Amino acid sequence: MHSRRWVAVVMVGLVCAVAFTGCKRKPRKGAMLGDNVGGVTGTDVYGEGLADRFGEGRSEVAGQFTPVYFDYDSAQINESERGKLDQVADYLRRNAAGGMVVEGHCDERGSNEYNLGLGERRALAIRSYLVQSGVDAARLQTKSFGEERPVAAGHDEGSWSQNRRGEFVLVQ
Amino acid sequence: MKRMLALGAVVWLVAALPCARAQVHVSKGAGQKSSISLAGFVSGSSAAATAFRRTLESDLQRSGWFAVVPGSAEFAIQGSCEDSGASLNVACRVFETATADRYLSKSYRAESAGARRLAHQVSDEIVYALTGRKGFASARLVVVGRKTGHKELYLCDSDGQGLVQLTRDNSISLAPKWSPDGRLLVYTSYLKRYPDVYAVEVGSGSRRRLFSFPGLNTCAEIAPNGRDVAVVLSKDGSPELYAGSLSGGSPVRITRTPRAAEASPSWSPDGGQIVYVSDQSGTPQLYITTRDGAAPRRLTSRGSENVAPDWGSGGLIAFTTRVGGRYQVCVVNPTTLELRQITADDADYEDPSWAPDGRHIACGRTRQHRSSIYLLDTMGDPPLALLDIPGDWFSPAWSSK
Repeated sequence: MHSRRWVAVVMVGLVCAVAFTGCKRKPRKGAMLGDNVGGVTGTDVYGEGLADRFGEGRSEVAGQFTPVYFDYDSAQINESERGKLDQVADYLRRNAAGGMVVEGHCDERGSNEYNLGLGERRALAIRSYLVQSGVDAARLQTKSFGEERPVAAGHDEGSWSQNRRGEFVLVQ
Repeated sequence: MKRMLALGAVVWLVAALPCARAQVHVSKGAGQKSSISLAGFVSGSSAAATAFRRTLESDLQRSGWFAVVPGSAEFAIQGSCEDSGASLNVACRVFETATADRYLSKSYRAESAGARRLAHQVSDEIVYALTGRKGFASARLVVVGRKTGHKELYLCDSDGQGLVQLTRDNSISLAPKWSPDGRLLVYTSYLKRYPDVYAVEVGSGSRRRLFSFPGLNTCAEIAPNGRDVAVVLSKDGSPELYAGSLSGGSPVRITRTPRAAEASPSWSPDGGQIVYVSDQSGTPQLYITTRDGAAPRRLTSRGSENVAPDWGSGGLIAFTTRVGGRYQVCVVNPTTLELRQITADDADYEDPSWAPDGRHIACGRTRQHRSSIYLLDTMGDPPLALLDIPGDWFSPAWSSK
């Protein structure tokens, strides 16, 4: 039941995305039927080019949305986190002005350089989910901080689980 | 001298053997240092003369080939170091005691302020004269330090002395690497809020942004030809490996893994291949490809994480592996796949960088949440602290491999 509703949401989202972007950024065909939606069930990420960065000097507002959390060494969006992303998508669809920077973060373990890539994949997975929920891809930027910006300073799973996250910064 | 060269070759061959057998031979090899003495070297008591002598002694010791002893030794360094106030005048002769064969006889002059630098040069010349191998005393390290609360780039000498701060961006500076000629550093910075790749001239400090595409721009390493740059970009929708250029132009995509991230490219000594990290198998592992991306070959098969490769001038690849919940440095021969673990204690060792001698490796070491820079010896000498002062220190890279 839940998954059918999910497919319906995605289908509506795809229709919106296509309608609003004038087909500039076609959703991936493989993602259409929910088999690999935005890194939800697999490790797929949106495989098309990124939009140009926002110009400088625009105001940024962080902390308006709840962070999305990830498993260790994973960019897959967990079932438990979808509701948070739906709220973000809903907000962006209802507020057509401005854009958003999706930040990807990692815990302190592992290679600094690899974590930059992992953080980017987390941000890209979120971006993909939002695009497939009907947000114009041109309004979204990704930014990986790797392990450089932890929110919890401890060195145990309690802190690590809070640091493996995606955050949302509104840009006006 | 031939005997010494032969010994070096034997030690190196034995050290290149895999795993348990190597460990035993390595500790034997490390014990077989040649003794060398500065008893016949006369130096004044001025600060510069003292600094010269102390630096030379510690460099020779750190080179790994010698045990510096106070009395008689297999090799004797004779000569003098005189400080005129403004300049140092050094005369240096190196003999084999038993045969009286002379291996080096040279005079040097430098400003007194450059006493330590001169000692590094003399040490490298003695190492080369006696072993036929390049030393690393004159090489420099770039490291990332968090002394100010922000990650900035710092430079220091091969012995960890002479630390100077290079960037003052109050941002995040990461992943520094030298150009082959040692004049340029490339690194990743959030100076303009996004992770971009910059190049900075070490001499003048002048800086330019090399890669600033949408998304991630990081992990740049300049090729041995001094022009091409391997770099990780996510502009096409996923972090991928590209070959760009120092002089601009459009980077050429090398990997095509829309479901995976690439990281940490390092060029082979001839510039024909690149070793890099990819998590296309589900965990980060090392792969080797050519510049045009032909048939990437997986290099590491065991372990849940194999990351941060550095392809040394001797042809071996140093990298970090996760074993028993800790990060340790390993060395692999990409042709024979012979693998050796270099570190094995309760600290985490990460981001190895080959020293120009092809024997030593600098790396970051974290123990009890404090990070410092250590020197590892692939021939078995114990790890040595290079930079272990307040503040945390990461990601060392040697000038010229």
